[in-house]
Amino acid sequence: MFSTAGFCLISGEQASRRMNSLPTPSRPPLRSVLLRSRKRTILGLDPQKLIKYFFGSNASVAIIVLVLIMVFLLREGIDFLPTYQRELQTYRRAGLEFCDIIDKPLQRNQALSSSLRQAVGASLETLSKQARDRRDAAFLLKRQVEDKSARPRESLRQALEKTPPAPDQIEVLRAELAVASTAAAKALKYPAFFSAAEVEQMQREFSALTPEVTDLPPLLLILVEEFTVKDREARTQFAELVTAQEEFEEAAEPLQEVLDELKAKALETKEKAVEFEVLEINRQRLLEAAATETDPKEKASLTKEAEESVSEAVNLEESIKEITGRTAELREQVEKYAVVIEKAAAVLPKDAGTGAARKMVNEVREKIPEHAREMRAASATLEDWRWDKPVSIFRVIGAFFFGTQWITNSSWQDFYGFVPLLTGSLVIAAIAILIATPVSVVAAIYTNQFASEREKELIKPVIEFIQAIPSVVLGFIGISLVGDLIKDFSEWSWLQWVPGFPIQERLNMFNAGCLLAFMAVPTMFSLSEDALNNVPRAYIDASDALGATKLQTVFRVIVPAGISGILSAILLGLGRVVGETMVVLLVAGNRIAIPDFSAGPGVIFQPAHTLTGIIAQELGEVSRGSSHWQALFMVGIVLFAISLLVNWCARAVARRFEPHKA
Amino acid sequence: MNPAPSNDNPFAGDNSGIQQRETAARWALRVGSYIVVIITLAIMLHIFVKGAPVVFRSEWPFVNTQFLTELPATLHVIEDQEGHHIETDVNGADAVKKKLGDDFRSEKTISYSGGGILGPIVGTALLVIVSVGVALFLGVACAIYLSEYAKHGKFLEMVRLAILNLAGVPSVVFGLFGLGAFVLTAPTFVDVPAERSVFSIPLGFTTLSFEGWDTCVLSGGFTLAFVILPVIITASEQCLQAVPQGFRETSMALGATRWQTIRYSVLPFATPGILTSSILGIARAAGETAPIMFTAALAFKDKLPWQKDLPPLPADASIFAHWEQSVSRFLGIFTESVQALPYHIYTLAAKIPQNEYAERAQYGSVFVFLVLVAALAASSVLLRKRLRAKYRW
Repeated sequence: MFSTAGFCLISGEQASRRMNSLPTPSRPPLRSVLLRSRKRTILGLDPQKLIKYFFGSNASVAIIVLVLIMVFLLREGIDFLPTYQRELQTYRRAGLEFCDIIDKPLQRNQALSSSLRQAVGASLETLSKQARDRRDAAFLLKRQVEDKSARPRESLRQALEKTPPAPDQIEVLRAELAVASTAAAKALKYPAFFSAAEVEQMQREFSALTPEVTDLPPLLLILVEEFTVKDREARTQFAELVTAQEEFEEAAEPLQEVLDELKAKALETKEKAVEFEVLEINRQRLLEAAATETDPKEKASLTKEAEESVSEAVNLEESIKEITGRTAELREQVEKYAVVIEKAAAVLPKDAGTGAARKMVNEVREKIPEHAREMRAASATLEDWRWDKPVSIFRVIGAFFFGTQWITNSSWQDFYGFVPLLTGSLVIAAIAILIATPVSVVAAIYTNQFASEREKELIKPVIEFIQAIPSVVLGFIGISLVGDLIKDFSEWSWLQWVPGFPIQERLNMFNAGCLLAFMAVPTMFSLSEDALNNVPRAYIDASDALGATKLQTVFRVIVPAGISGILSAILLGLGRVVGETMVVLLVAGNRIAIPDFSAGPGVIFQPAHTLTGIIAQELGEVSRGSSHWQALFMVGIVLFAISLLVNWCARAVARRFEPHKA
Repeated sequence: MNPAPSNDNPFAGDNSGIQQRETAARWALRVGSYIVVIITLAIMLHIFVKGAPVVFRSEWPFVNTQFLTELPATLHVIEDQEGHHIETDVNGADAVKKKLGDDFRSEKTISYSGGGILGPIVGTALLVIVSVGVALFLGVACAIYLSEYAKHGKFLEMVRLAILNLAGVPSVVFGLFGLGAFVLTAPTFVDVPAERSVFSIPLGFTTLSFEGWDTCVLSGGFTLAFVILPVIITASEQCLQAVPQGFRETSMALGATRWQTIRYSVLPFATPGILTSSILGIARAAGETAPIMFTAALAFKDKLPWQKDLPPLPADASIFAHWEQSVSRFLGIFTESVQALPYHIYTLAAKIPQNEYAERAQYGSVFVFLVLVAALAASSVLLRKRLRAKYRW
């Protein structure tokens, strides 16, 4: 049939006649008419087969799409590793890495000095707080009066500026302003730390405020003076602490100066190198175009352009020598710095104004020797550093998967480290699963085993309806409602035992986790309920027959029998939670840093960024083919792999624990 | 002699704690389940309370027509010397300023918060039409194969596995896929292939170039189609499976071919179910944001997709030219990027500073969006119920 059919339509009648004619020539005519096949063939296939293949090919769309997803992710993302390798190579060759060896541990200096500064501030406040509060409150009150009488004040000012001045009008306006100011000053709420006499004086002075007088009212001057005196007093009392703090802060300056010079040099080299690279690529492209160009005139002009664009290669070795040549100086400065801070730590007083401040000072004292050690160690590694050591591909893979920094659009160096995003995603997913699992399993058990028909008709549609709520709407709810709710809760005094309360940020991992839990409930609920439904009736009957109560049957027979389904439901819920984008993008706070786990369980109230969120947030703003773009696709590849892994686990679990089906 | 037989019922429940424990556990479970229900209803109520005042009015026509029929615009709020706030758009702001003679206290501009949300609604509708069209075609065909043709084997297993995995792929990865596949690589007919074209096939009068469709309704719709494909396949297969086996056997026994069986004895009974279930797919497609972020959606657009500036035709243009222009106008709808409701909500919630005016636009959009989605979901549930009552085998 194949040979005759070719690729055009031929009548099936002919074909069948030819076939029929061979074996049974003596068939009764009627039968042959009835059974005569009216098939037509296309490409040698009969239509039934064709229809089947049509549907089959549609079924394979699912496979094809899955493969295509992989192909396109890889196509855009796989170049990331070589690109990043090149970037890290430049980072090393231009000497940026050299500077970072010292710069990274030196960052610690800022953290330490900021906690010292806080300690100093807190100590000073013990003496000067009231004076400061009084001063600030008085200024605030003055501003409130001015705000309330803004309109007449403004009119008066305009009238005063007008030339020639209209004295009558000014008088009227003046009276108006006085009335308004007096009313405003009367209506103010004066804090309790002002005495009655002071309040009276303030009211008097505020009522007399006019636009042309720019001097402060006398009482305010007194309050300012009062604060200055108190502050001076406090500074003498905590003189040791104040000087230690200042010394510590100044200690880094000479080192920082040297380092900044080196950094500037390195950056300059890097920029030159990058520029050269771009030009070089451009030139290659021109040459390629010239090679394929047929028109000799065009070809000549392209070649000429390429030749003209030859730029001088950056002599990396020269410029790196300028940097490494100062290693000794740098090391000397580091040593000096270490000695100075150790001295500062020694003179750091044991006492401070408040308990919290004392704790901070002690912490700093403990950390300074460690910091000095770090600095010295870093300075020692400077000697072993080689500018021309190649960056191996494994280093690059490590820098991506275990890198702790995700820094983009930086003027110094971009880093694509995966860990901060992964931690954010995992912590949020863990919170969501911890909340969603009990709720949805309980709901599934209740609806499946205890609920009356009417309750079922309420609970099931409502939970299934959650699935229809778009994730962006839930994210919006997280911003507008849940964030404020959590913040308000966290300020209740009887909840202060909760770690992390009161919270700093409205948008944090806990908030995102709650909303994701809510999103995961319908998936986990319906799958768990299916699992409970699939428990064989005989198990339940047997349990009942043995006299078990309903509760015993449920928890000792039904739930254990359905545990595989429940576990795989949890896993699928996890997949959903890790892959969710809009909620985390809107609610998680989008701070790209590894959460500070030293805060204990309170860590969940910190903001974070996630794998999905970073793609959604940054992909729109990067140019195609840049390392940043490729890094984001790389994150997409990892997400895709995670989703496949979770699915596989869910299937494996479902199979593993299914004794009754075997 | 014998001790008097006890009158106690030997089967009576033992009240020593077991029953109390039972009741307590039952109540604990009940409370746990109702927490979810209450939270859901509370969220709905919150959105209703905050969003309904934006959309509804207390006087005729009871609906804020401006909000539903205008495109989003920048809102200008001018505060005059008496402290009245005048809300207006760009042109209105100029007029008001002229009237006040530049004697006003402050002017605030709030992006995207003025006007209405017609643009996003239309964009979402277009995306849904394209995606559901594509997904229904592929999904139903796939379901027919799975339910009617497939025999156990490697291929079937692979297809099922692929569908399962496809359902688990994060939506933002679909977005990346759509960007790589449809925006940057999909084949299109052009006169001169762009530089980014992967490869191009010259066809004489035109060139088939794999250079992508750019961000447009088509790219977004196709991406969304693959997001909802697993939903549609699963739902359709269930509906096909629900048609009793006897229907097929009867048809086959009468000598019908397999396709005839499917066409006349299976599909007619499954179609209503497939369509109602796919309404859920519509709701899902309308609600997804991440897949359209890079493939179709724009934060702001001051035109509807069909309001494209085409060169005016000369007065003596032939009917054919008019016809050609209408066709290109129609096709242009699908090759334009659009605003979409979920993306609009994202923009309002995350990209602009928050204040009362922005909040009003946010809640209004969320309310309208949720009402649309909820109406779809509810109609799907109700229709399914009615269908179940109608086709009882």
